[in-house]
Amino acid sequence: MLKIKRTIANLYRQYELATCISMFEPWEKKLINGFVLVILALLVFSSCVYLPTYMQTLLQFITPLPWSGKSTNNAYAPIASTQKMNIG
Amino acid sequence: MGNLETDAAAPFEQSYATTNGNGKPANPAMEEEEDHETLMQRKFSAPAYTEIKTRKNAAKVSSAHRLKNIANGGYHPAKQLHLNGHAKTAVSDREFKSSQADGVLSPEQEHYQKSSFEEVPLHTACLTYLGFYLLMILGYINQLLFVPKVAKEKGRDGYVALYDAFESFYSRYVYRRIRDCWNRPICSVPGDELTLKDRVTNDYGWSFKFTGTQTRCLNLGSYNYLGFASSTGTCADNSEATARQLGLAYCSSRSELGETQLLADLERQTARYFGVEDAIVFGMGFATNALNLPSLLSPGCLVVSDEKNHASIILGLRLSGATIKVFKHNNMRDLDRVLRQAVVYGNPKAGGKPWKKIMIIVEGVFSMEGSIVRLPEVIALKKKYKAYLYLDEAHSVGAMGPNGGGVTDYFRADAKDVDILMGTFTKSFGSAGGYIAGSKKLIDFLRANSHAHCYASSISPPIAQQIYTSMRIIMGEDGTDIGRQKINQLARNARYFRKRLAQIGVITYGHEDSPVVPMLVYLFSKIGAVVRTLTTRHIAVVGAGFPATPIMEGRIRFCLSAAHTKEQLDYALDVIDEISDDFGLKYSRKPKDLNPIEY
Repeated sequence: MLKIKRTIANLYRQYELATCISMFEPWEKKLINGFVLVILALLVFSSCVYLPTYMQTLLQFITPLPWSGKSTNNAYAPIASTQKMNIG
Repeated sequence: MGNLETDAAAPFEQSYATTNGNGKPANPAMEEEEDHETLMQRKFSAPAYTEIKTRKNAAKVSSAHRLKNIANGGYHPAKQLHLNGHAKTAVSDREFKSSQADGVLSPEQEHYQKSSFEEVPLHTACLTYLGFYLLMILGYINQLLFVPKVAKEKGRDGYVALYDAFESFYSRYVYRRIRDCWNRPICSVPGDELTLKDRVTNDYGWSFKFTGTQTRCLNLGSYNYLGFASSTGTCADNSEATARQLGLAYCSSRSELGETQLLADLERQTARYFGVEDAIVFGMGFATNALNLPSLLSPGCLVVSDEKNHASIILGLRLSGATIKVFKHNNMRDLDRVLRQAVVYGNPKAGGKPWKKIMIIVEGVFSMEGSIVRLPEVIALKKKYKAYLYLDEAHSVGAMGPNGGGVTDYFRADAKDVDILMGTFTKSFGSAGGYIAGSKKLIDFLRANSHAHCYASSISPPIAQQIYTSMRIIMGEDGTDIGRQKINQLARNARYFRKRLAQIGVITYGHEDSPVVPMLVYLFSKIGAVVRTLTTRHIAVVGAGFPATPIMEGRIRFCLSAAHTKEQLDYALDVIDEISDDFGLKYSRKPKDLNPIEY
């Protein structure tokens, strides 16, 4: 438990130093950390609520149309032909 | 222990020894001690002095350190009181490499082999800018909403602001936050150790209060290269005798009533020190540059100046009205390009006629970068393009070369190839003032024309005596080899310290023989954190941030001295190793040398 606490404290210190927060006065620290937390919360919230539907639409865009009998016949399939040749 | 004032140092030391609570017999000084205890508590609980706890078992570390140090017969600044001055450890001379260029490789190859300017990691660069933007934004918010009483002026309605808006904003809302790391008052000789006068701030740097306590610190911040800054020893005794004999000041300039035999002797000695015809001395190092350059240069002259040159040189050049062209730091190809263009195209303002004169201005050791000028190549270029060479040896005289003769000595170059040798007595000689050495013709010209010679009052006799004595010691004219020992000790210290730092994994700049060691910490907040934490560990260092360096390159600058012993350096390096883990200062991506470094 103590170890975890220390690790977290260390991480927070690294964060404070890396962003210059350690130089600020307490109220400024609260302001910045609040700001960061709000942004993080928004990110988490939006990724929970909007991301699934987003991903679905995106997948629909990326993936080719579902296979139909006609299109397979017309399509050029080099792998299939080489396989044939190998078999032959 | 009756008198508090005379015994101020003793209870202070004791309180450090007893903070762990090993029971002491009751004595009359107990109350004092308790008083002291509360004072110390107050001091270390104030925001400016809160130590940032270390990752590895914060509570244990200090005691473990102490144990380890005790086991090694170790060193702690708060525990011992050394006498400042001479090199203390007798070091064996086996395979000792003095401060001198090897001369095996070509000067260019040797330069690249020995100096390093490691690139900043990309994420650190981004974070540095991010932090800076944050500081600025919050600074502006602060300025809008909240100005404390100490920052307001009364009865100045209708006056125009005296200071530049950005400058005052920067110093109030950015620099102020870590202002306790700079301009710290000291109350002892800045030798190998110094005593800091403690102060606390209760309003985040707007104002400071003295706590009445002192901290004995290992001094890694003074330009005391040869350790002549000392209140005891031959130098101090001679200066005192001179002060009694000749007084403290002449209150007149050299060309009027301020001339004395001592100054004439000093000039002759300086000329002999560099092996040139003549020399002239001034009472102020900064003015030596700022006031002599205008007398040597005029509009219509071209100056080719290194981009990292000191402010005094830049001021002098601006006063002179000469055209200034800057070349990249220590970059000979760029210097060659600038010189070639100047010679080929001439002065565009005079319709392409040749420049009246072209002067190259470089420093010997650059105080912020810790790099050494590539003198052999500069001299070659100077001869090729028939330019003059002005060499500022403020940091290198005494500190470089096997005889302490500066970079000309270090590179075994002929001092007569450098037209104007300038330097200060402030650093290695532990005194004040500056000199210019060169040909008799040059010095006579300066005697007639230099503002610093005609109008400034002459050097005070005890100060001149300090220079004279220390110079004689360095040259070995006092019949001892103390000077030689000091020079060797400094060379050893510098090399050892740099190698150990490289092994720790921090980024340092500069040449491996230079006694100025800048350690890059990049972020503004880390400068403050490192300086404060080192203070709590009894090490005094100097940080340098944005106005003095580029925004990107915040740094801690260690200045080594011949007065430091190996134990002192080891103590400092152990602490640096520990805190650089905590603060994430180990930026270096170079392969590390894992073998133990030999002193």
